Amino acid sequence: MIRHCLRLVWNRKRTNLLVTLEIFFSFLVVAAVVVTASHYVGLYRQPLGFTIDDVWIVRIDTNTGDLEPTPALNAATIEQMRLLDAAVREFPEVIAAARGFAAPYVDSQWINEVEHSGRHIPYNVNMVTDDYHRVFGLRVTRGRWFSAEDDAAATIEPTVINERFAAEVFGTDNAIGKVIPQDARRDGTRPPERRVVGVIEEFRQLGDFTTPGNYAFLRHRPSAAPDGQVPTAMLIKVRPGTTTAFEERLARRFHDVARGWSFEFQRLDELRAASHRDTLGPLVAEGVIAAFLLLMVALGLTGVMWQTVTQRTREIGLRRANGAAARRVKTQILLELTLMASVAIGLGVLVVVQVPLLEIVGGIPGRAYVTGLVISAAAIYLLTMACGWYPSRMAARIPPAEALRYE
Amino acid sequence: MILHYLKIALKVLARRKFFTAVSLFGIAFTLVVLTVATAIIDHAFAPMAPEVHQDRTLIVARAMMRGGHAMWRSDPGYLLLDRYARNLPGVERFSISSSPRTAYSYIQGNRIQSVLRRADADFWRILQFDFREGAPFTSDDVTQARFVAVVNESTRAKFFGSSRAVGREIEVDGQRFRVVGVVVDVSRLRPVPFADVWVPLTTAKSDSYKSQLLGGFMGMALMADGASPVAINQELASRLRRAELPDPKLWKQLYAPLETTLELYSRQVFGVDEDAESPAGRLWALMLGAALLFMLLPAVNLVNLNVSRILERTSEIGVRKSFGAPVRALVAQFLVENLVLTLAGAALAFVLAQIVLSGITASGLLPYAQLHVNYRVFLAGLALAGVFGFLSGVYPAWRMSRLNPVQALKGAVR
Repeated sequence: MIRHCLRLVWNRKRTNLLVTLEIFFSFLVVAAVVVTASHYVGLYRQPLGFTIDDVWIVRIDTNTGDLEPTPALNAATIEQMRLLDAAVREFPEVIAAARGFAAPYVDSQWINEVEHSGRHIPYNVNMVTDDYHRVFGLRVTRGRWFSAEDDAAATIEPTVINERFAAEVFGTDNAIGKVIPQDARRDGTRPPERRVVGVIEEFRQLGDFTTPGNYAFLRHRPSAAPDGQVPTAMLIKVRPGTTTAFEERLARRFHDVARGWSFEFQRLDELRAASHRDTLGPLVAEGVIAAFLLLMVALGLTGVMWQTVTQRTREIGLRRANGAAARRVKTQILLELTLMASVAIGLGVLVVVQVPLLEIVGGIPGRAYVTGLVISAAAIYLLTMACGWYPSRMAARIPPAEALRYE
Repeated sequence: MILHYLKIALKVLARRKFFTAVSLFGIAFTLVVLTVATAIIDHAFAPMAPEVHQDRTLIVARAMMRGGHAMWRSDPGYLLLDRYARNLPGVERFSISSSPRTAYSYIQGNRIQSVLRRADADFWRILQFDFREGAPFTSDDVTQARFVAVVNESTRAKFFGSSRAVGREIEVDGQRFRVVGVVVDVSRLRPVPFADVWVPLTTAKSDSYKSQLLGGFMGMALMADGASPVAINQELASRLRRAELPDPKLWKQLYAPLETTLELYSRQVFGVDEDAESPAGRLWALMLGAALLFMLLPAVNLVNLNVSRILERTSEIGVRKSFGAPVRALVAQFLVENLVLTLAGAALAFVLAQIVLSGITASGLLPYAQLHVNYRVFLAGLALAGVFGFLSGVYPAWRMSRLNPVQALKGAVR
């Protein structure tokens, strides 16, 4: 049956080529959307490492620009920050408050590299104060989080890293107490040793739809005078049900404490919603356009198949006259369509597979391609079957006598 | 002749209503997507108020400082613009304004989020805002650092409802300003003029911005008629080569170009930092390529439908061929038919596109955007429809002209 159908398809190759081409392009469109979607689903299902319920962020702008701070300016900034840290704790609505360079869903990254067995492994660095883990409910799996016992060590920089980073650099060894290798500074001196004191489960700063990476927390101590920059993102965990009225009081207090500074207040759930919108918005738009394209293709294919069946009335009538059952005729039409769809999907898969092979678009794991392609292929088979359904029924209903009368 | 073709075309289209409807749906949908995209691009780049002198306006929105080991990329700082970009030959006016930033106000337990821009008086002379109330702040206000503000209509509505705003006070980012003017909302897609609240540069909370080469500001130059952007850029570059850099051991070179919005955008898209040749042409090519790629599937779909429809008309074509109709005439006839169909689809598409655009405007996805099918979008849409009609008509027309008249008359078609 299949061989026979193949010959029939081949005999009408010019018309069928166009149909195949149309199915091929449709497959590419579906695959593009579905592969992206399955990539996002895969990312969304991985653990995030933090919770952001009732966490507010205050981005502090010292209005001194990006220039390297002088020691005098830095001392003033640190003193002012200390006053803000104290001010925020006066409010009973505040459960915990911390500062960091970066916060979840805030696109600001500080990336370092560690050289390990000839490979450069990039990792994100974030310098935070001690309460940061309380604000976000970070889960420490080994060792401990920063605490006052780190105050004593002047020459080492206590570091907390995520499991992924620990596994990548230290393998199955226990990472606690190990040092993350660093290059010497530009002036030749050695930076303080980054010694691992704890390992946390995960911290995916940029959120649910980003590829998980390596992460390291360094400790910022407001009391010690650092020579670098000062973390300016204040994270506040408030009691559930806290309203904007509190934000207004907090803003007034902050403006009073630090008169020359500006503050930007945001809720992390709003930032998360914005980040989701930015990621999923284009995908939804593409999905809607793809859906309309498919509807158009479905109607078009139905029309073409209908026309084909009308043209082949005589051929089909002859088959029926020779004793073919209506069911067999129907199967024949659908099988022909399936063969064309298979050729189109085969070609489509070959084309789509080039994307990861030639690394045209990076960052999407092979799994997403496999899932995406399987789903796309199923969708296209379903679509073509739906298009062929009515025309094939029409073909099966052709009365042999009427068809043969044409001869 | 054309009239005759048109008549046949309409007859044919009316005969198979399902096919016509399906074709129209495909064409209209394709053109709706393209028209909506065109309208958004038009809205972002075409000259419109307040950027009425867009053809003569150059902006400085990127700056770079480079040394042996380091590179610092940012928006330019006040010092760079004030010391080096003022009084360039060929520039009529020069304005410095801060990069927009989010600021908050609180009214009775509600929060108002607005975008704040600190600007000078020339900002209002280069950009022609449409004032609903009052007037812009003056150069006197700027030098005296008066706490006055111009707000847009949406901000007025948030603070004062429907009543007049001029003379009343607003508190933004912990500072109190007296409103002196109200302007019509400007779309967020226009990064040069966009903001909700504009206040004098000198009301900044700290003076430290005056000593910074990089960060936080934008320059805007209005060229004299006939001035050459290349010459102006060369002059600025040569001044910057002689600039005093903060740490000469670390930093060697300062760079900040004057460019149009389109150049700025295309450089961001292609990641080209300092090429003399602007990649704006490449950006247009990319957009056109994307449009063609998008048209591919709908075109194949329409080709399929058209081929089916031709095969149905075999006997008509057979008759015409046997009476001596040349191939050219048949091809022309079919192309006309297809163009009629495409243009009908385009007419439908313009109506639908306007509905979609009103929907986008109403949804607030693009803040303050007022999207329309204007004459530029209309012309671009027509051109795209023409290309689409041609793409989807050529192959079926060729197939039609190739039919063998004898077989066609017998009705046997492969």
